[in-house]
Amino acid sequence: MAEIKVENAVKTFGDFVAVDNVSLTIHDQEFMVLLGPSGCGKTTLLRAIAGLGMVDSGRISIGGRDVTYLPPRSRNISMVFQSYAIFPHMKVYDNVAFGLRMRKVDKNDIDRRVRRASELLHIENMLDRYPSKMSGGQRQRVAVARAIAMQAGVLLMDEPLSNLDALLRLEMRAELKRLLAEIDVTTIYVTHDQIEALSMGDRIAVMRNGIIQQCDHPTKVYDLPSNQFVGGFIGNPPMNFMQGQVQRHNGSVKVAIGDFALEPANLYQPILRSYDGQPIVIGIRAENMETLNKPADDALKVQVQVVEPLGSQNLLTVKIGDDTVKVSTHPTFDVTPNSDVWLRFPADKIRWIDREKGQVLYPA
Amino acid sequence: MNEEKQSTQKKRKKINWAPYWLILPSLIYLALFFIWPMFRGLGLAVYNDEAALSLQTEPSRDAATAGTLPQGTQVEILDQQGNLIPPDEAGQANVITEVWYQISAEDADGNTVEGWVSESRIRVREENEAGAPTAGSVRTRIGAGDTLTEVYSEPNENAEVAGQLEARAEVAITDQSILEIWYQVRGEDRNQTVEGWAQSRYIQVFGETNTGRIDRGNTGQFTTEYLSKMVNDRFFWPATITTFLLMILIIPVQFVLAIVMALVIQARLKGNSLFLYVFTIPLGISELAVGILWFSIFTQSGFLNSFLQTTGLINTPITFLSADTRYWIIIAIWLAEVWRATSIVMVIVVSGLQAISDEVLEAAELFGASLWQRVRHVILPMLKPSLQVALILRTILALQVFAVVIALSGGDVVTVLANETYRQYSEFRNANVAAAYAGLILLISMGSAVIYLRMIRSQEEMAA
Repeated sequence: MAEIKVENAVKTFGDFVAVDNVSLTIHDQEFMVLLGPSGCGKTTLLRAIAGLGMVDSGRISIGGRDVTYLPPRSRNISMVFQSYAIFPHMKVYDNVAFGLRMRKVDKNDIDRRVRRASELLHIENMLDRYPSKMSGGQRQRVAVARAIAMQAGVLLMDEPLSNLDALLRLEMRAELKRLLAEIDVTTIYVTHDQIEALSMGDRIAVMRNGIIQQCDHPTKVYDLPSNQFVGGFIGNPPMNFMQGQVQRHNGSVKVAIGDFALEPANLYQPILRSYDGQPIVIGIRAENMETLNKPADDALKVQVQVVEPLGSQNLLTVKIGDDTVKVSTHPTFDVTPNSDVWLRFPADKIRWIDREKGQVLYPA
Repeated sequence: MNEEKQSTQKKRKKINWAPYWLILPSLIYLALFFIWPMFRGLGLAVYNDEAALSLQTEPSRDAATAGTLPQGTQVEILDQQGNLIPPDEAGQANVITEVWYQISAEDADGNTVEGWVSESRIRVREENEAGAPTAGSVRTRIGAGDTLTEVYSEPNENAEVAGQLEARAEVAITDQSILEIWYQVRGEDRNQTVEGWAQSRYIQVFGETNTGRIDRGNTGQFTTEYLSKMVNDRFFWPATITTFLLMILIIPVQFVLAIVMALVIQARLKGNSLFLYVFTIPLGISELAVGILWFSIFTQSGFLNSFLQTTGLINTPITFLSADTRYWIIIAIWLAEVWRATSIVMVIVVSGLQAISDEVLEAAELFGASLWQRVRHVILPMLKPSLQVALILRTILALQVFAVVIALSGGDVVTVLANETYRQYSEFRNANVAAAYAGLILLISMGSAVIYLRMIRSQEEMAA
């Protein structure tokens, strides 16, 4: 059992609050991704859990044991560093065995665990080599092998793929996911790459300015962001945001975009009623709009500015009021710049966002 | 085979000469300022370029060689002769000449006297445009009873006397002869009598006698004379032993201290830049000043004694630096050197430590290494290149310890190789033995550097 519990963790550097009263529970054997832009505090939080930087206040427990003020080596953790941090003066074997030797594990046991870890990472025929004679991807594998050979309850990963080139990153991403499913370990994975986060994590904790904005399953985070920041950070292209005006018509609520009126789903009617007469932000993902090439009653006429064929889809850039909106269409949808298309907004795909607070509105 | 040839030919075509042209000035620089002076300087230790004098059968440069006599041989001077040599050869270095003037003058009786007088007897009053003397007067002969100066019929004191002139007699100089004096000498070398002619500059004549010695030779020889002189010097073994003793005492302590100091600085404590400044202060003080500083600590009325007396630990001052307490002098030198030169090792170690990434150290910590295990298994192995550089530098510097020793021991009670080099050169004026000492220091330095570099290389081979 290695459940990680962070309670009210605060970490400041001078005046800068890197981690601002964060509470987070990571279940046993869960793959938790800490996602956020650089400077959001995700690495600081990870280092606090690792014991490489103590929190100013708050409590961290691993497997029910309070580790807040314990040194890293007493925390039953292992870690993969961003720059790999493998020891250049040691052969691969000694690198992988390092942690076990420090723990004075039995020699035969060390050998067995080193070989098992290196087989999992496909570096079993490089054990006699020095890291300086290896490629970045191979070093990465050594770093991961070293971490999993420890068989610690917790594996921490600090942007482990960020130093690899795009193709290798794709490959390692899938391999890491396979590997971590094979071994029983609670993983915290720090990244600023939302694709990595979405594709690998059991849950994603999106951080900004030291605060966790949302912590949920990837599909949930993608589909139902808790606020405008999460919606705008996750997804490629990010969620579109448009300005609208809430209006009341005979007991039902409509939202006007210029002359066009959107009909919110029944679920949202009660909430939106309180915004009567006020501006509101409409959020919708590019692939959730229907594109039509002829007018329809429930479709908004827009002019296409840019067409980007991306193979699997055509990405259109259109202007709605002052807002630029990206629309994803089927690659066979025939459209040229400056021509008109009509957009339909499915009511259940629209997210309503409080303009002042940036919070996504949920039905009570 | 053919393919091989072709490929080598291709390689040859590819040679880019530009870098070699750039190397050329550095090669010239190297040859001019390092190899040549070192060759000349250290050559003094094993080569005596005045070792033997070859004697001629006739008083002439072109004559056959009659035999050689080593430098310092006692010789009997049998004869001497002045050889006329052309004026353009006269100005050459190492040619000792005697000049005779052909003069014409009136003697005391009013008779015209014509003949040859040695240059030393005439004060030249007039010269022509070419610089040749045309007129002069006879010098007074101080302290001699006979004031008359002989005029010879030939430019030679053995020739017939043509007349005599009084002091201050006016003479007209009509011609001059430049003579090189040759001695016919006889000496013994390895029980064989050698007889022959040699130029006067090689022979030292003893007073008014007809004996002398070979002052210097004209042919060089390799010799172990200076080396054996050095080894048999009464200071040689004390100096060598003390030098190595100091090396063994100083270097390990310095390395341990330097690594600890570097780790303290690297720990990024508050005020760690202050540590760095304090640690490096001794680097800015000259070696002699450090010696004097520690002398003033250890001397009879020095800081140490007054401290011990004030604290009541002793009643009468202890004499640390005396011939009876050599070990105290060694301890004082050891302390002074450790104090003075540890920071240079520390600076190198600090720069090496800074090259170790924080993540690597954090990884070591995270994977369970205690502070000592981190130092032992991660920091020290990764510092190895810096430590080896520091080791080479420190060993070479330890061989050059000099001013501290002079300041603390005066250079006699405790002496080191560098001090002996200085003593031979400045006190005994023996450049050859000094060169031998210098060569010995160079040899030890180079030897230790080669050993250290070998150690690095063997590790790299292991790594490869």
